[in-house]
Amino acid sequence: MSTTTEQATTSRVNSAMKEILASGASRAVLSVFLGFVVGALFMVFSNDAFLQSIQYFAAKPGDALGSAWTAIADGYAALFRGSIYNYQAANPVAAFRPITETLRFAGPLIAAALGVALAFRVGLFNIGASGQILFGALWATWISTRVTLPWGIHLIVALLVAILGAAAYGAIVGFLKARTGAHEVIVTIMMNYIAAGILTFFFRTPELLREADGGGTPKSDAPAVTAQLPVLLGPEYTLHWGFVLAIVGVVTYWWIMERSTMGYRFRMVGHNPDAARTAGINVERTFVLAMAVSGAFVGLAAANQALGARAGMTPDIDGTIGFDAITVALLGSSTAPGVLLAGLLFGAFKAGAPAMQAIGLSPEITGVVQGFIVLFIAAPPLVRAIFRLPAPQKTTVVADWWRGIFSRGGAK
Amino acid sequence: MKKITSRIWSGIALASAATVVLAGCAAAPTDNATDVPKVDYLACGVSDEGSWQDKSFNQSVYEGLTKSESELGVSIAAAESATPDDFAPNLQSMIDQSCDIIIAVGFNLVDAVNTAASANPTMNFVTVDGWANEGVTNLKPINYAMNQSSYLAGYLAAAQSTTKVVGTYGGMQIPAVTDFMTGFYNGAKAWGTDNATDVTVVGWDPSSEKGDFIGDFTPNSGTSKTIAAGQIEKGADVIFPVGGDQFGAVSEAITESGIDGRMIGVDKDIAAASPEYAQWILTSAEKRMTNAVFDIIKGIAIDGTAFSGDVYLGTLDNGGTALSPITNYTGAAAQADVEAKLAELQAGIVDGSIDPVAVVG
Repeated sequence: MSTTTEQATTSRVNSAMKEILASGASRAVLSVFLGFVVGALFMVFSNDAFLQSIQYFAAKPGDALGSAWTAIADGYAALFRGSIYNYQAANPVAAFRPITETLRFAGPLIAAALGVALAFRVGLFNIGASGQILFGALWATWISTRVTLPWGIHLIVALLVAILGAAAYGAIVGFLKARTGAHEVIVTIMMNYIAAGILTFFFRTPELLREADGGGTPKSDAPAVTAQLPVLLGPEYTLHWGFVLAIVGVVTYWWIMERSTMGYRFRMVGHNPDAARTAGINVERTFVLAMAVSGAFVGLAAANQALGARAGMTPDIDGTIGFDAITVALLGSSTAPGVLLAGLLFGAFKAGAPAMQAIGLSPEITGVVQGFIVLFIAAPPLVRAIFRLPAPQKTTVVADWWRGIFSRGGAK
Repeated sequence: MKKITSRIWSGIALASAATVVLAGCAAAPTDNATDVPKVDYLACGVSDEGSWQDKSFNQSVYEGLTKSESELGVSIAAAESATPDDFAPNLQSMIDQSCDIIIAVGFNLVDAVNTAASANPTMNFVTVDGWANEGVTNLKPINYAMNQSSYLAGYLAAAQSTTKVVGTYGGMQIPAVTDFMTGFYNGAKAWGTDNATDVTVVGWDPSSEKGDFIGDFTPNSGTSKTIAAGQIEKGADVIFPVGGDQFGAVSEAITESGIDGRMIGVDKDIAAASPEYAQWILTSAEKRMTNAVFDIIKGIAIDGTAFSGDVYLGTLDNGGTALSPITNYTGAAAQADVEAKLAELQAGIVDGSIDPVAVVG
C-alpha cells in the first residue's frame, strides 16, 4: 500500500518537474539567460584589451581569458549599478536611484505591452502602439497645458483623455478591420505615421500646442503642475505615479482576460474566430472592442509619457516604447504576470544602458541582448534543444495544484 | 535532438579552435609605455538624438573628447541618446561617475542639462548650442556666430555664380539655422553692392523672415531635394543648405538639372569629411566644435584655469568658425582677388566695421 502511494507521489513529482521544465515560463527564463550569454560574447569581442591579447593567445592565454572575464564582469556590473543598486554611489539616496529609474522606465513599457498582449490574445497584431501613444499624449498635453482645472480633477481629466484618445485611435483600426477587412498590421503601421504627423503639426503651431516662448522647434509647454503625475518617493527621485498606474493596469488586464465575459469572448475569438461566430459571438464587434481596449492600455503609457514629464515635450515623446512593447508582450507570453516581469526586465535594460555606455560599452549591446531574447522566445525548439528540455507535457499536475490554491476553498 | 545539439557544440568548438590557431600565434607584447602621461581628469559627453558618428555636430564634439584623451591624457566617458527619454538618465550616469566636466550636445538637451546643473551645483557642465537658465552658474554655453563665416560664404557664392542667383534653405526655422542664412544673404548682397550688380538670394529673406525650410533635419529627404530643385529652377547655381547632411539631395538636384552648380557645406569641411560630394563643394562654413571642446578641457585640466559659466562664442576672430579652403571656384574674378577680398571682409567683421546680420534695405 505504502509503496504504491510512494510511487504515485514520485510520478506526480516527476510529471510536475517535466511540466515545469517544458513550460513557457522556464523557456522565457532560459531565453533571457541565453540573451545575456550572447550579450557577453558581444562585450568580449568588442573589448580592446581582449582583441589585443587574443593575438598572442598561444603565448599567454591567461591575458585573453582574463580580459574576457573582466569585460563581461565590468559590463554586467555596470548594468546592475545602472538598474538595481549603485554600490559606488556617494550617498544612500543616489545608491537606490537606479531601481527607481528601472521602475519609471518599466511603467510605460508594461502599460503599452498590456495593450499589445491583449490584441495578441484576440489574434490581432497591434503594431500601432506608438501611434496610439502619440494620439493619447496629444490630447493629454492639450488638457495639461491649455486647460486650467483645480488640483486633482485636472490630473484625472488628463488621464482619462489620454486613455480615451489612445482607445479611440485603436478602435479606428478595429473598425476598419471589421468593416472592410483591412489588415490591422498595415493599418496600424500607417496610422503611426499619421499620428506622428498630427502631433508634430500641433506642437509646431503656436495657436495649438507650441510652447509659449519657443524658438520655433516643435515643442510643447511643460504640463501644468496640477496635471503632472506626482512623484512617488519624494523629490529625490523622478519615479512617479505612472508606475502605480501600470500596476493597476496589470491587475485590470488579469481580471478582464481571466475573469470577465468580455475577456472570455476575446480569448474565444483569438482561438478560433469561426468557432466563436458559430457559438453566437459577434466577431466584428469583438475586433473593434478589442482594439479599443488594447488602445486604452496603451493610453496608460501615453499618460506616463505626457503627464510624467516635467519639461516641454517633443514629437518623439513615444520614444521606442511602441515597438519595445511588442517585445515585452512576446516575452511575457501575453499574460499579466509575464508582462509585468518582462516589462521590469526591459525597464532595467533602459535604466542600465547609460551606466554601460559610461564605461565605454556600445549602447547597442542591450539592444542586441533584447533582440536575442525575442529570437529565442520565438524559437522554442531551439531553446529546448540547447537545454535538452522535455517537449510540452499533456499532464496537468502543476496546473491542477495552482488552480487548487486560487479557487475558493484552497488547495485540496 | 541530441545529435543536433552535439553538432552545434562541436561546431562552436571547432570555430573557437580555429580562431585561436589562426589568430593566437603572435608573440605577447612587452609593456608599452604610453606617450602622453595620464591626467586625473574625467571629461564626459552626452549626445543629442543620433550617434557620435553622425558626421555632424555630435561627432565634432566627440572628436574633441577623443582628441583630449589622446593629446592631453585625460580620461573620457561618453553616452549616446537614442530618444529624449535618455537625456536625463545619461546625464545622471555621468554625474554618478563624478565627471569633472559634462558636455551636453545640442539645444534639445537644454532643459535636462539645466536641471542637472542646478541639482549638482558643485559639478561643471557645458551646453553646446544651449543656454544657462537664470542663476545657473556652473553651466557654460558654447555658441557660434555662424553669421560671420556664412557672410563670407555668401560673398563667395555671389562671386562664383554666373546667373547671379544664389539659394539657401534650412532644416527648420530656428535661430540656430536662420543665423547662417541671414549671414549668407547679407554676404551675397554685399558682393552685389561692391560690383554694382543685382544679386538675387532665393530661399530666405531676413527682413520678412520668410524662406524655404525642410521641416526637419532628416538627411537628404525628398522634400530637401524638391526645395533644391525648385531653387535651381529659379536660376540659383550655388546652394547653401543649412540642415546637417543635405548634400546628397542638393548634388542630385544639380546633376538632374544639368547645370554647372556648386554647394556650400555647413558645420564641417564637407569636401574633406564626405569626399563623395567634393566635386560640387565650393567651401564650407565650419563650426569648429572639436576645437572648442578641446580648448575648454585643456584650459581646465592642463592649464589649471578655473571653470567659468561664461559663454564661449565661436567667431572668425578666435577661429571657432571659419571658411574651409575654396575648391572648384570658376567665377569671373580671379580666385586670388576674391580671397584677398574675403580676408578684407573678415578683418572688417572682426573689428566690427561690418555687421553680418544687419538688415540690408
